[in-house]
Amino acid sequence: MLAIDFGADGCVVVSGRLDAAQAAAAQAFLDRVEGAVTLDCSTLEYLSSAGLGVLLKTQKRLLASAGRLRLTGVSRHLQDIFAYSGFDQIFEIEPAR
Amino acid sequence: MSAQRRFPRSIDALHELFAFTAETLADESGDGALSRTVDFVLEELFTNIVKYGRGATPVLVEMAAIEGGVQVTLTDFDAEPFDVTRAPPVDVTLPAESRQPGGLGLHLIRKLVDSIEYRHSPRDRCSRITFRKTRAITPAGTRPETGETNAGD
Repeated sequence: MLAIDFGADGCVVVSGRLDAAQAAAAQAFLDRVEGAVTLDCSTLEYLSSAGLGVLLKTQKRLLASAGRLRLTGVSRHLQDIFAYSGFDQIFEIEPAR
Repeated sequence: MSAQRRFPRSIDALHELFAFTAETLADESGDGALSRTVDFVLEELFTNIVKYGRGATPVLVEMAAIEGGVQVTLTDFDAEPFDVTRAPPVDVTLPAESRQPGGLGLHLIRKLVDSIEYRHSPRDRCSRITFRKTRAITPAGTRPETGETNAGD
């Protein structure tokens, strides 16, 4: 299952599995954020290409209005997916500790 | 290890598909990298069938152990030919404003698996996609941290 909501520090926390069945829910949430947004991925277990599409669509919208989406807590597995996708050049990525 | 199951042609069947992977690869050692990669590739191939296929027959998924990993075959009955191994390349160097959501899945599959084969039989309109994924680390082009190979490179 997927959970996405605002965390205590104002960042957006995404947890669980962001797959094709959950992409619409994630997109609906991210369509409401504005400005410089940090997405905490430290409890994101799985991300499919449908999830990548959600992140890209959000980043494009935010960049068009001088905002941006920053990804933190990114696991080694997700770092590989982002590198293969070229997303490491599109997003500021902070690896998981 | 060998298992097979049929899944209805619906995005809602993804959770059943993932449960099948978890159940079949339950004995996997390590950090779950093999399961995550199999899920990723299965999801992409299965959702393509759901989105673009016109048949109504459930999709057959078969898994079998191979040395150091797993071989997975998806069979789409009553399918138009579409060779997933020949999908056009994606330019991943483009800036965000020039990128379009979608189209990445088949590109990523070729990066993540050891091998992938596509066969279509015009006689019975049956498509079969077989991919293999191992935890092997040795071939050139691998990423040592994950053991993921670059089959499409």
